Amino acid sequence: MPDSDQDFLRTLQETMGENVQVTAGHLGKASIKSKPELIKQVVQAIQRDEPTAAITAITGLDLGENIGIMYHTRLRHNLVTLIVEVPKTKPSIESITDLIPGANFHERELTDLFGVTVEGHPSPGRLVLPEGWPIGLYPLRKDAKIENLQESQSSQGSTTPKEPETDGKLVNIIIGPQHPALLEPEKFSLKVDGEIVRQVVPRIGYVHRGVEKAAEQRTYLQDVYLIERICGICNSCHATTFVEAVEKILGTEVPARGKYIRTIILELNRLHSHLLLLGHAGLEIGYETLFQYMWRDREPIMDLTELLTGNRVVSSSIAIGGVRRDVKETDSEKIKAELAKLTKKLPFYQNLFENEPTLKMRTQNVGKLSKEDATKLCVVGPVARASGVEFDIRKDEPYEAYGEIPFKLITRQEGDTYARLMVRLGEITESINIITYALEHFPTGPYRIRAPRTVPKGEAVSRVEAPRGELMHYVRSNGTAYPERVKVRTPTFANIPAFLKTAIGGNLADVPANFVSLDPCFSCTDR
Amino acid sequence: MPLDPWFLFRVLVFPGFIFILFLTLFCDWFERKIEARMQNRVGPAVAGPGGILQPLADLIKLFTKEDIVPRNAKSTIFKIAPVLGFSMLVFAMLFIPIDGQNAIPSSSFSGDLVFVLTLVTIANFLLFLSGWASANPYGSIGAARVLTQFLGYDIPLFMFALSPAFLAGSLSIAGIVESQYLPFMLLAPWAFVFFIVTLQAELEKDPFDIPHAESEVVGGLETEYGGGRLAFLHLTRDVQIVFGASLVVVLFLGGPYGPVFFGPPAFWYTLWFVLKLLVVILISEYITCLFARLRIDQVVAANWKIIMPLAVISLILTVALATWVYPLVV
Repeated sequence: MPDSDQDFLRTLQETMGENVQVTAGHLGKASIKSKPELIKQVVQAIQRDEPTAAITAITGLDLGENIGIMYHTRLRHNLVTLIVEVPKTKPSIESITDLIPGANFHERELTDLFGVTVEGHPSPGRLVLPEGWPIGLYPLRKDAKIENLQESQSSQGSTTPKEPETDGKLVNIIIGPQHPALLEPEKFSLKVDGEIVRQVVPRIGYVHRGVEKAAEQRTYLQDVYLIERICGICNSCHATTFVEAVEKILGTEVPARGKYIRTIILELNRLHSHLLLLGHAGLEIGYETLFQYMWRDREPIMDLTELLTGNRVVSSSIAIGGVRRDVKETDSEKIKAELAKLTKKLPFYQNLFENEPTLKMRTQNVGKLSKEDATKLCVVGPVARASGVEFDIRKDEPYEAYGEIPFKLITRQEGDTYARLMVRLGEITESINIITYALEHFPTGPYRIRAPRTVPKGEAVSRVEAPRGELMHYVRSNGTAYPERVKVRTPTFANIPAFLKTAIGGNLADVPANFVSLDPCFSCTDR
Repeated sequence: MPLDPWFLFRVLVFPGFIFILFLTLFCDWFERKIEARMQNRVGPAVAGPGGILQPLADLIKLFTKEDIVPRNAKSTIFKIAPVLGFSMLVFAMLFIPIDGQNAIPSSSFSGDLVFVLTLVTIANFLLFLSGWASANPYGSIGAARVLTQFLGYDIPLFMFALSPAFLAGSLSIAGIVESQYLPFMLLAPWAFVFFIVTLQAELEKDPFDIPHAESEVVGGLETEYGGGRLAFLHLTRDVQIVFGASLVVVLFLGGPYGPVFFGPPAFWYTLWFVLKLLVVILISEYITCLFARLRIDQVVAANWKIIMPLAVISLILTVALATWVYPLVV
C-alpha cells in the first residue's frame, strides 16, 4: 500500500475520531467500520481527499439481529470497504447517491434483497424483483424460505413501478424485453420527441435467478460450477473471481503453473468476448459483413478453448487451488500458431475501423461519456477506458500471472461508441501478446494443489478484470462447507447507468449501437 | 375481339408473369448466394443444386402459414396493399423489352419511361400504406421511413433516368434501347454511377436500408404481416430489385441487345438481358456488403445536399453534351 494511502487512512481516523475503526488489509486494502448515521460524513471525508472515489458494490449481509451493509469503495486503484450495521427491526440508512451517483442501482438492489430503506434516494422502486413479489419478503435474508413465497402468493401486494409523468408530446418507444437489438430479455422505455430520446426508464431483472441465494445452499465445490454459469462468455472470469476469494480465506497459494494456465484461459475469454462484441456492433449498425467476418475469426478462439479445457464455451476448468487440466507442450504450440494467424488478420480490421466512412459516421460522437461522468457513474472496463479513465484491475491489483506479464493499457479520450470499440480492438492485440508471453515463459511444476472442502471462518473480496470490466465477488464463510454469503457484482450492472446517461439527447437510431458498445450482458446483471 | 393465344402466352408465360416470377426468384437466390460468398458464408445450399430452389421453398412455406390480420389494422388496406404493390411492379416489368420487345406486343409508346417510373412510385406508396395500416408502432415507423426515403430519392432517380432519354432523344424505353449503338454507360458514365447509387437508396439496400433496420424498428413495415401477405411483401421487394436492375440494363447497358449467333434472336436477347441484369445485381450486392447502414437524418442530408445538386448538374451536362458534342462525334 503506498504511503499516501496510509496517510489518508490515518487522517480519516483522526478526523472521525472514535467513530471509525480502520483495519488495514481486511476486505481490500482496508476496512473502515463506522456507525450507520455517519455514513454520509465518512463518504464526504473520503471524497475530500479523493474526489474520484467510486462505488464498486454495496453488499448486504444478514447478521441475525442486524443487517450489515458494506460499501466497497474504489479509492484510486485500491478497494476500501466501509462497514455499517443497522438493526433488523428498523433497517434504514441514508442514501449516498447524491454524493456518488453510481451508487444508485446498488442502493435499490439493497432495498429489494434486504429490505433496507434507503432514505433520500432519488428514484426508489423495485430494481431486480418482479412487480408481483410480496411486500415484506426479502429474498437474501436468512429467514426467507421458498415456502414464504408460496404462502404469500395468494395475498401478495403488487407494486407497479410508477412511470414518470411526461407531457403528451413524447412518444413511448419500448425496447425489450423481446427485441432484435437485445439478445437477452431486458426492457428500456424510451420517451422520444421525434427521433430524439428525452428519457430512459430501465426495467431489469427479467431473468434474475437468485444465484447469490443458491450459492449459500451449495458447497464451495458445487458453487464453482454454479457461479461459472452466471455468464456464458466470461464464465472463467466468474469462476476465477470466486475461487480467488475462497483461496484468500483458505490462505492457499496457487502454484505458478496454475496461475499461468488461468491467465491464458481468462485471456481466451477476453478474446472471445471482444471479437463477439465487435461483430455484434457491426450488426447493430447494419454492417453485416463485419459481423460475419468477426464471428468467423472468433471460431478458432472457441476451438482453442476446447483444446485447452475440453469445452468450447463454459470451460469448467477453474478449481479451488489451481486448474483442472494441464496444458500439453504440443497444445501450446498449436495455440501459438492459431493466435499468430489471428494476429495476421488484425491489420485488416484496424484499417477497416480507421478508414471505413459509414462505420465512423454511425459510431463517432454517438453516446459520448465524459471522463467526469465516467468517474461519477462508477463505470468500469472498456467503457471507462474509452473515456480516458486509466482503470484496469490487471494493472491496479495484479492477480494470477498478470504482475509478471508486460502489456499495454489501452485508453482513448473521446468516450464515444467508436472509442469503446477501438479500445476493444486494441485489447485483442494485447490479449494475444499476453497469451503468447505466458506460453513462452511457462513455469513447470504442479498446476493444482488440493484444497480442503470446509473453509474456515472469514471473509474476502476479490476482483478480476473481466472482458466487460471490473468483476467483484465477496465471499463470507462460517466454518462449514457451505458459504454464508456470496455477493457478485458484475460489470454490466455498473455500466447500465452510463447508457441511461448517454442515450438522452441522442438519436433513436443510435440507441442500439450506443447500448451494444457497453457490451451489456443481462445474464450477468440478473445473476 | 377474340383473345389471341399468342398474346396470352406472352403476357402470362414468356416474357410475362411466370417468367418474371421465376426470374425474380432466381435473382433472389443469386443475390443471397453472392452476398453469402462475399461475407465468407455458404448461403442457401440445401434446396436444389446450390440451394437454387430456396427462394421458391420459402415462398411456398409462407403461403402455407396461417393468415392473421391484427384487430386494429385497417383491414382492407392491410389485405390488398401487398398484392397490389406486387402487381404494380409486375405490370411495370411488362414494359421492359426482355426478349427484344415488350411483353404486350406493340404496347410501347412515347413516354412509357415516365409511366413505369410512376408505377414504381405508386408501388412504393402502397408499401407505405401496408405498414401504416398494420397499426403497429414499428410498422408505422418503418412505413414513415419508406416514405421519407423514397420521397427524397425518387426525384433524383427520375432526373438521372432522364439523361439516357436526352441522349436518345426519346422518352420511350424501346426508343432508348434501340438508339444505344454505344451503351449510354460509356457516353454518360457519371449518370450511370449516380443512378446506381440512387437506386440503392430507392431499393432500400445498404447503406440506405433504414426502413429494414431490424435493430431499431424490428420488422419495419413487415412487422405485423405473416403468411401469404408476407410472401407478397417479400416478392414485391424482390421484383422491385429486379425492376431496378432492369432499368439500369435498358437505360445504360444497351438493353437486351448483343451478338446473335444462331437460332431465334429472342433467345439470345433474353440471355444477354439476364446476364446484364446479374452484373447489375452483383454491383448492387457489392455495395451492400461494403457499407454500414446510415442513419435516417444522414440519408436525408445526403439526398438534399449531395445527390440532388449532382442530379441537376448531371442533367445539364448530359443535355449540353447531347446537343453540341455527341452529334460531332457519333
